Amino acid sequence: MGDEGVFEKIKNSNRAAKQNINSDGACIDENEPIPQAIEAVKARLGEIFSGCSDFMYREIVCGENNCIKMSVAYINGFVDKRVLNQDVVRPVLDYFSNAILQDKRNRIYEQLKECVVNNSDIKEAENMRQVVDNIVSGEALLFIDGEDRALVIGVKAPQGRQVSEPDTEVSIRGAREGFVENLLTNTTLIRKRIKNPNLKLEIMQLGEQTKTDICICYIKGIANEEIVKEVRDRLKKIKTDAILDSGYIEQFISDSRLSLFPTVGNSEKCDKLAGKLLEGRVAIFCDGTPYVLTVPYLYIESIQASDDYYDHAFFATFMRLLRLLALLVSNLLPGMYVALVGFHHTVIPFKLMITLAASRQGIPFSPFTEAVLMILAFELLREAGVRMPRPIGQSLSIVGALVLGEASVAAGISSNLMVIIVAITAVCSFVVPPLIRATMLIRFVFLAAANFLGFFGISSVFVAVFIHLCRLRSFGIPYMAPFSPLTASDLKDSLVVVPIWAMVTRPRILRQENVKGAAGVKRQEVRLKR
Amino acid sequence: MKCRKDKYAVKIAILAVLSTVLLLLTGCWSYRDLTEINMVTALGVDRLEDGKVLVTVQVVEPAAIQSTASGKGKGGVTQQKPVFVESYEGETVFDALTSMLSIVDKKLFLGTAQVLILGEGLSKNGINEVMDFFQRNHEMEYDTVDVLVAKDVTPKDLLKIETDMDPIPAMYIKKTAENTVSRAKVKRTMMIDLIKEMGNSGRQAVIGQVAKEGEKEVRTEGAAVFRDGKLAGWLDPYATRGYLFATGEVKSTIVNIPADSGKISMEVIRSKGKVNVVFRNGEPALLTIQVVLEANVGEYEGERKLDSPDDLHRLEETLGEEVKKEIRMTVNLAQKDYSSDIFGFGTQVHKYHPQYWKKVKDGWNDTFSKLPVDIKVDARVTRTGFIKGQIKKDG
Repeated sequence: MGDEGVFEKIKNSNRAAKQNINSDGACIDENEPIPQAIEAVKARLGEIFSGCSDFMYREIVCGENNCIKMSVAYINGFVDKRVLNQDVVRPVLDYFSNAILQDKRNRIYEQLKECVVNNSDIKEAENMRQVVDNIVSGEALLFIDGEDRALVIGVKAPQGRQVSEPDTEVSIRGAREGFVENLLTNTTLIRKRIKNPNLKLEIMQLGEQTKTDICICYIKGIANEEIVKEVRDRLKKIKTDAILDSGYIEQFISDSRLSLFPTVGNSEKCDKLAGKLLEGRVAIFCDGTPYVLTVPYLYIESIQASDDYYDHAFFATFMRLLRLLALLVSNLLPGMYVALVGFHHTVIPFKLMITLAASRQGIPFSPFTEAVLMILAFELLREAGVRMPRPIGQSLSIVGALVLGEASVAAGISSNLMVIIVAITAVCSFVVPPLIRATMLIRFVFLAAANFLGFFGISSVFVAVFIHLCRLRSFGIPYMAPFSPLTASDLKDSLVVVPIWAMVTRPRILRQENVKGAAGVKRQEVRLKR
Repeated sequence: MKCRKDKYAVKIAILAVLSTVLLLLTGCWSYRDLTEINMVTALGVDRLEDGKVLVTVQVVEPAAIQSTASGKGKGGVTQQKPVFVESYEGETVFDALTSMLSIVDKKLFLGTAQVLILGEGLSKNGINEVMDFFQRNHEMEYDTVDVLVAKDVTPKDLLKIETDMDPIPAMYIKKTAENTVSRAKVKRTMMIDLIKEMGNSGRQAVIGQVAKEGEKEVRTEGAAVFRDGKLAGWLDPYATRGYLFATGEVKSTIVNIPADSGKISMEVIRSKGKVNVVFRNGEPALLTIQVVLEANVGEYEGERKLDSPDDLHRLEETLGEEVKKEIRMTVNLAQKDYSSDIFGFGTQVHKYHPQYWKKVKDGWNDTFSKLPVDIKVDARVTRTGFIKGQIKKDG
């Protein structure tokens, strides 16, 4: 018994210490009660929110002989003041203007909750912790003198920008609506598309400091329960100060945290996300960012586009193959060129060889150096284009096109052909946006291998990358599915797209049982149920 | 658990370092930049009186080609010549090619060779010895190199010509050889075919013939007949065509036949040839050549109409006779003058009578020369062109 007591003490003191550090002075214990006296509430909140100029505290006194004392606390600008006045302050004043304090205080609280406040979104806060959390989340808190409870009234003002077309994911056909920074707007956009109570939205908060709202979204009955559970577990394990973007979560929950290849997908498009949910994937919404995560994310998804399903299947298939080609070209082309020019002269047709040799004549760099320089120059331009203010964009493109394209060739620093190769490589890499970053780095590996060992080097690296891809998993699902392991029924939506009326079964690979656990947990052999 | 993980990481790190070192230590194995090689477009090989080999190379200058192709020379600089030709003698072809580096700046790259020209002197002495190098060398592209024998001119002089038709003389020579597709008057031998024929004792090699025509042109016509790797003699263009008809290598050609009035040029559009050996009592008794061909009337100088079936039948007969005559001429040359089985009758014997072949293999050319040859030509005339007869004023 004695030992246990000591242990408890240490644990408590630890927790206290931790909280002190985490909350920077404003120490609020988990179970600190709400003081009954309204003056005490005022004092305590004033203490917690000292130095917060946007914290508002309004006292309401009404009833005969000013016998009823209440107060409203909220963050200025976060709540819709008009709604607060119409729905809360005015009804309260009207209702209690002539009331006499004869009932038990309890009745006031009940009356307030049940018939006075004109707002459907009412919750209760039972301790200071909840009070503070709700205030900082943008709710208005109503305190009644003599009560150790407070009413949480949802009068949050709609924040942020309007729903608009996403800049990053453009499609010819399909919905123009993209997600915004507001979590509720985003979940509504999905609910609008999938009108079904089976669409589950589980909310939770992450980030010790930011208290960011995170929402796990899936369709019960379609999504694999094990994957949903896995997502829940991995999210719960996140211990961090801040979640400012879904990118934070992505890094925490990725299966292979060092891999260049994305194992968590993201999208800004509502119709795309709805499609993913209907395939049995799990979405993770994060307040404050329009990028919604989807898991599991498989390699094949990087060459899928929402247009594929809205268009004729033949065109869609052609586009898929084209994207795959672009992926290969953007990875391999510079390396191939270096290997051809440096090692494998015999496979170049005679006339092409003359052109190649003529364009290389007088260039002081080796093809490898030349390729690295040109690719670096291009990546610099691209990065500059992203970072700099929009109005300067045009001057940059002029500098890029003239200096890189024309002048470097005229000055004899790079060959015409290299400019063309870098251009083709760049265009191809933009065809498959999810893999741009992976491609960018792997390209250099291919280049180096080609410079040392020619085609042999390229094929070695290719095999290595392929092995890595086949080993990767996303939430227990093999990354290269449906090719490896081969899932015949899922091939309908891989390199070949069958018409939508022929896609009668849902992706089978996502429904498999016995999926692998979290990253680092021992791998289990996945057996496909057919 | 943690300890094991660390060990694993160390192992991976060591492996990574080792493989990096391995990569770096190799240097750039067999790495050669395109700008560091001399692209050889044509090779000429001849044997000198003292037994040495004289190798001539024609090397292309890509930058000069590029500027002539795009029509803009680099301003101010005198126009660079698109090719240069260098010769060097050595004990062997390889020796000569390597020794040549004393007068040539960059290493010679043979993978781009388009033509190999064998000198007459070399051919008379035998080509098997020098062909060894081309089979052994890994850079050679057997199936793109045209082999030709130079007649009355050394390969060196031939490769030095400067034609206006193509900046690279080698390409010009190659293209004239390619024209055999519509002419059938020169035998086109790719290096791979020559190598195959060298290893086939049942068929003797025939290589196209090239000669100089004036200062700037070559004439690629006729063929050289070899016997056991040595030049036995020449076939004139018509004899060459006879040979090509017999072996079924004619793609298209013009055969002129006499008519009642004027001449008729028949355009052969399809032709198949087949040789066979008839055995009687275990001995070869008769050699047969069967040719089936299809032709159009290409040009008719006479004024008659060619619309009745009888006219066409007569045309077919005359054409058949004409082709037969050419084949007969070739057969006579091969049997009587050169004693060389260029048609590949020996291959047929080898195929269907292997036991007998073993006995006669060595003296087959003599056996071949003594056997009677039966030639059958089946000519068919299908069309007379757009018109049946000439347009006349009186109508």
